Order: sequence, then C-alpha cells, then structure tokens
Amino acid sequence: MLFYSFFKTLVDKEVVVELKNDLCITGTLHSVDQFLNIKLLDISVAEPEKYPHMVSVKTCFIRGSVVRYVRLNPAFVDTELLQDASRREANNIKGAA
Amino acid sequence: MPHQYFPGSASLLEELDKKLMVVLRDGRKLIGFLRSFDQFANLVLQDTIERIYVGDAYGDIPRGIFLIRGENVVLLGEIDLQKDAQTTLRQLPVEEILVLQREEQERIEAQQKIQYKVMLDRGLQPVTDALYEDTYS
Amino acid sequence: MADVAAAPGHAEAVSTKVDVPLDLIKLSLDERILVKMRGDRELRGRLHAYDQHLNMILSDVEETVTTVEIDEETFEEMVKVQLSYTHKLFLTI
Repeated sequence: MLFYSFFKTLVDKEVVVELKNDLCITGTLHSVDQFLNIKLLDISVAEPEKYPHMVSVKTCFIRGSVVRYVRLNPAFVDTELLQDASRREANNIKGAA
Repeated sequence: MPHQYFPGSASLLEELDKKLMVVLRDGRKLIGFLRSFDQFANLVLQDTIERIYVGDAYGDIPRGIFLIRGENVVLLGEIDLQKDAQTTLRQLPVEEILVLQREEQERIEAQQKIQYKVMLDRGLQPVTDALYEDTYS
Repeated sequence: MADVAAAPGHAEAVSTKVDVPLDLIKLSLDERILVKMRGDRELRGRLHAYDQHLNMILSDVEETVTTVEIDEETFEEMVKVQLSYTHKLFLTI
C-alpha cells in the first residue's frame, strides 16, 4: 500500500515511465490503482520513430507489471516520510504474518 | 462490469466503448472497441484489427472479437483523432506488410542470435523475454 | 527461539534485528545501495523506500547497463556500458 499511497500524491505531476521493453513514456499522472497500473495524459514517447504505433496516442493505461522505472521529480518526494513509512510497513507486514 | 470505481484510481471505465490500441507482451498491436474489463485488465475488444508496423508502413488484418487475458497487456492507448490525422505512415495491403514483417523479423533474429551468443560468451545474461517475468499482481 | 522476546513498548530496541530477509533492506534505508537487476543492469543510489515486492525509491541514481552490440557489416563486437543519471527514481521488480 505504501507505493500506491505514494503515487496518489503524484497525481497531476509529470513523470517518465520506462517499460521493461525499453519504451519511455513521459506524461502527466492521471491515476494509479493498487496494482500500480498507471494512467498517463498528454503523453510523448522517446524515440518515436521506433514506436510508430504510439504517435497517435494521447492518453494511455500502462499495466503495473510491465513498468521498469518511474522517473520522478525530486521536488515532489519527501524522503523522510518515505523512510518512516517503509519501516512502518515492514513492521506491519511482520505483525500480520 | 466493475461496480466499484474510485475517482483517481486507474480505472478503464472512462475507456469503455472507445476505440483503443492495445499493445500485447509479444509486441502485437490490436485496435478495437473496449467492451468490458476487470481488475486484472482482462479485456474484451470488439471489431478488432491487428495492425502490423514495419518502418513507416503499416497494414491491417481484421480479427473480430478478442478476450485478452490481462497478463498479456502492456498498455492501452486512446487514439487521438487529431494526432492520428497528422500521421505520415502509409498503409499497405496485408500481403505486402506480411512480407516486410517477415523480412524484418528474420533480420532481427539473425542479429540477436549473434548478439546472445557473444553476450553469453562474456558472462552477460541477455534478456530474451523482458516482459515475461513472474510478477506479483 | 525467542531470545529477544520483545517486551511491549520496546519495539524500537529490536528494530535492528534481522528476522526476515527483507529486514536487511530496512537497515539500508537512507544508505547508498547497489541493486543488481535482470539484464545486466546495476543501480547505485540512496534508498528511501521499499515494499515486500522490492519496489523501491532511490535518489541520485547511477544506472549502468552493459550490452554487447555487433556491427552489422564487420561483425565487430563492441561492449557498450551505458551510464545514466537520474535524480529520483521509483522502480519495480
């Protein structure tokens, strides 16, 4: 749930999503769900000549399982908060197990 | 039909009945109308065509109705008509695009075969199935 | 054996104990770590968050991708090491 909550704080921000097939998509984060599926608005693709099928796409839904990285603007990330949340989540999971 | 919808969650509800381009893990591109989906991104596409791209050309094969198992989905794109009108891609008959596709595949496969061998010789691990990993979800 | 039976209210005292594998990662929070990935990728960066799937958030990331490229005509082998730098990165495994 940590990353789901985290991504919800990034809605309306610009991110770069790099897929496991190397496709890099820049867009505005519209929404995310508990599987970390991502919806991006107003997208652009790196190396568009390699991905002709993407040039007429403006909005897309990306399945969470194919994401390699999401590149973030550091200004929107509170690292202290994340570290505390990670510790808490690790303890919670152990408590639940 | 999904009955739970949280605003801000990555639901495909807004895409229902729209014409979408679906990219599958094996690289195929399908274009059709989204008629149904669930939480795994299992999809039903109607009036689907498979579009094959080679260089600046493409060709369409009519395919009909699909039920796509979610794990095979990479992404769904909404076709923007304005952007689509500006495309410089040229359409070819199916037979021609299939020939071009086979030529391209053979070229890539030959190149990859050499590359994988060299990488293995050097102790590197070529990724042959980047999108076929076991993932949670 | 419950050698350190955590007394209630002493959760802090046992938080550095590694009793499940991922606790080792907990100890690395706010440290620079090396992540080895599939496909000869390596990331070096400061760890800020992780979960049970090993999704992570790293900052000041150096990514190294090692590939071999073969010249189409001469069949010459070139080992290519790409280094890229990102300020903040979320990654999924």
